[in-house]
Amino acid sequence: MEIVVCVKPVPEAETRLRVAADGARLDAEGVKFVLAGYDESAVEQALLLKEAVAGSTVHAIALGPAPRTEEVLRAAVALGCDKASWIEVPSGGSDDPLDAARILAAAIRGLPHDLVLCGKQAGDDESGLVAGALAEALGVPGFGYVVDLRWDAARSRFTFHRAVESGQESWECPGPIVIGLQQAWNDPRTAKLPAILKSRKATITKIAASGAAASVATPEKFELPAPRTGAKMIEYRTPQEAAEKLVRILREDAKVFP
Amino acid sequence: MPEFSLTPDQESLRDLARKFARTEMAPHAAECDRTARFPEEIYRKAYDLGLMNLNVPTEFGGSGLGLFEQCLIVEELAYGCAGMTTSIIANCLALEPILLGGSPEQRRRFLTPFCASYQLASFALTEPSGGSDAGAIRTRARRDGDAYVLEGEKCFITNAPHASLYTVFATVDPERKHKGIAAFVVPRSAKGVSPGKDEEKMGHRASSTGTVRFEGVRVPAEDRLGEEGDGFSIAMRTLDQTRTPIGALATGIAQAALDLAAAYSLKRETFGKPISEHQAIQIKLANMAQAVHAARLLTWHAAWTIDHGGKGTLESSIAKCFASDAALDVADEAIQTFGGYGYMKEYPVEKLLRDAKLTQIYEGANEIQRTVIARELLRAYQ
Amino acid sequence: MSRRTLVVGEVRQGHLADVSLEAAGRAIELTEPTAVVGFVAGSGAEAAAGEFARVGIADVRWTDAGSGSDASAGRIAPTVAALAREIEADLVIVGGTTFGRDLAGALAIRWDAVSATGVTDVRREAGAIHVRRPVFGGRATETRRLAGPRVVLALRPHAFAVPSVTPTTVRTSGFAFVEPAPSWREAKLLALEPAAAGGGPALADASIVVSGGRGVRAPENFRLVEELAASLGAAVGASRAVTDAGWRPGTFQVGQTGKAVSPQLYIAVGISGAIQHLVGMVSSRVIVAINSDPSAPIFRVADYGIVGDLFQIVPALTAEIRRVRGP
Repeated sequence: MEIVVCVKPVPEAETRLRVAADGARLDAEGVKFVLAGYDESAVEQALLLKEAVAGSTVHAIALGPAPRTEEVLRAAVALGCDKASWIEVPSGGSDDPLDAARILAAAIRGLPHDLVLCGKQAGDDESGLVAGALAEALGVPGFGYVVDLRWDAARSRFTFHRAVESGQESWECPGPIVIGLQQAWNDPRTAKLPAILKSRKATITKIAASGAAASVATPEKFELPAPRTGAKMIEYRTPQEAAEKLVRILREDAKVFP
Repeated sequence: MPEFSLTPDQESLRDLARKFARTEMAPHAAECDRTARFPEEIYRKAYDLGLMNLNVPTEFGGSGLGLFEQCLIVEELAYGCAGMTTSIIANCLALEPILLGGSPEQRRRFLTPFCASYQLASFALTEPSGGSDAGAIRTRARRDGDAYVLEGEKCFITNAPHASLYTVFATVDPERKHKGIAAFVVPRSAKGVSPGKDEEKMGHRASSTGTVRFEGVRVPAEDRLGEEGDGFSIAMRTLDQTRTPIGALATGIAQAALDLAAAYSLKRETFGKPISEHQAIQIKLANMAQAVHAARLLTWHAAWTIDHGGKGTLESSIAKCFASDAALDVADEAIQTFGGYGYMKEYPVEKLLRDAKLTQIYEGANEIQRTVIARELLRAYQ
Repeated sequence: MSRRTLVVGEVRQGHLADVSLEAAGRAIELTEPTAVVGFVAGSGAEAAAGEFARVGIADVRWTDAGSGSDASAGRIAPTVAALAREIEADLVIVGGTTFGRDLAGALAIRWDAVSATGVTDVRREAGAIHVRRPVFGGRATETRRLAGPRVVLALRPHAFAVPSVTPTTVRTSGFAFVEPAPSWREAKLLALEPAAAGGGPALADASIVVSGGRGVRAPENFRLVEELAASLGAAVGASRAVTDAGWRPGTFQVGQTGKAVSPQLYIAVGISGAIQHLVGMVSSRVIVAINSDPSAPIFRVADYGIVGDLFQIVPALTAEIRRVRGP
């Protein structure tokens, strides 16, 4: 099985967000970009399928500027991806997820793919647009919010579940398909030290960017919430008093229920 | 020119250790400290990730890292929990004599099977009658045909109750002092080896420390490292290698204390403003930051010196001594910054002080380090 | 007069979902009721189509899902694109559910549009759409300018109110299903297992969420959290510590690797507030934390805090809520 997994460098979860001088975007100065969150789950899912289906290849692909994009691809290789391709786009270029999807689709069309995996959304912009857009651009079925993706070898079909508002859907679909992953049903693995050292020497193939029109989405403002001043602490002598005070506040001040 | 920035390779190793320390170690640090639990599941994970036998070359199944990279990893691990770190890096200390004193055949024979699975080893040098005075070892090794018979007791041995392998230092002739000491590799399974129970310690409570008794233990002569009189030199050269990571371990404790104190100072208010706006606290934090920074750079320098072929005795003693003193000071000041809360076990800072204390004592007490520093220093003036 | 806006609705248990009415309400405010067209697809679409009348939309199209059994977003995207073209829409608005967000990506490609999801505010100004949306798990907000000519928006659930207007008379008409790529024919929805075994609302949909963490200490104590949730008609969530320990299944998990929620009220019981949890709930409107540790990070993001023994506080709170709201 030929598996393509799309990854994106995102600021690590502990990053202290700051506003750039133009007021329109995140100040990336000094920010550490990592392979994280849903993308880690997508890589884990790819590796689990690779382990389950003999002869599979996992190809990690990412677009973005140096050096962060190359770093997340090395992280993907350290986790067990067989190949890595980097579509280099300059820093400060379009951050529109649909542009990203168009460029990725153009690149993936040239690669063997039975399955294209991505996180259901990126941990930074949280758009969640890429999986659906990629599928439509590639002309194949696409599904977001997927958990527990498996390959039914006897019937040559993928089976998976989707966690949606009304419950859990069960699906089957032959490849090629695009899957946006909610989270792996297993914890994403951690790369081992020898694999990390080996990944430093891995070949990262460069692919030229193509397929995106001039973006019509432009960031205007990036704002941080006023610092939360911390909770208003409820003073009480008995648990009953604490409960009464809280309920009164929730009804009368916060008005969250009548 | 010296290079102070890390290479991408070094950064990725540090990131691995940082992630492991913060996600696997730190969440269990308080519990293991409180109950003195030896979290073997965490050590097993550290082994699986390649964070355990850091100094063993890859050809024997270790991670094959230089001292500088080891230090980067150890500092990060210690940030998560110093006690667990002591147990994780105990293998480096215990296996170093085999790397330094073993023949190529012995290295292969001992290290390859050992590193192939999760196992712990202990460095058995210290005895009840004396720690830093290694020349005064009383454990006897009597030659008996093609074997030696070991008789004696070692104490304060890290991981002793859990180890499957011991590197043991014993004298073949007490009269010969240093020159009578020999080093042996002894499996836990050998008849007559009996580890004692865990000691109750002030700090590093996730680590395990205990005695090991050797009662008529037969060790084949082929399991002796080097010649009969080489033991002392092997022990000293081992400690020359492993002293610098203790500087890194102490730096990790100090960094954790500084981070906690700085974060707390921003949210704790007295006299109508955060205590970070009081000059008394600012001076504390500034001094703590200087100590942490200096400790790290001294450690990096010592590691760099040894990695570049230098002996590094002076540099590693300075690093270990300074960083461990700094760790105690910084942890102390962190408690002071927290005030009464800092003294409470509910908060994580008092543990750092207890953990820091050991770094002044083990792997050569700081008094010995200062003796070494003075000796090396004065040599230049003689 | 501006061009038209298409609102894509979603059928839930035979009715138009609240998020669809929220989307319709916002569409009307951006243009005017007569310029808004409603659309629903799938089984029950024809009946649900009429419910757009509740928010004052008179022109509604519907389709069954063609040859397939389901109305999943990717399958109906070509139909939505065709309708948008036919009515000469320049804006498509959808509720930002799993369906809406999946649809937005596919539709944007099919209709050659620009798109934003998770939108909490939208205005039309100088020929462009400007949207505000939380990013970084609610730790920041971005404003983007989307210069058309075609825009697809998925609105964050519960960010907008369902408008209360005088219902209008609705005219519904069928719209021909446009087949998606041939490979969709073999995609099969086998089953739908309804959520919320406990009878409460689904986590992502709920306007109140009560979550429990490590502080509840044992799986059997989790019932305290569930009873509090039941008293409020709330959904039950959990921190990763709880799902990792197997006290509750992974579907309960709120946070970075679980679900992101943004209810009107979020009550964190015995949750210390690791950053991975906070990113999943910090954009809730009102946050209440109950924890024994006064230094727990959860109190830094909470609006109201109670430091104390949850085993005493939570039952008292449940009793008090039952008293004021009735059993």
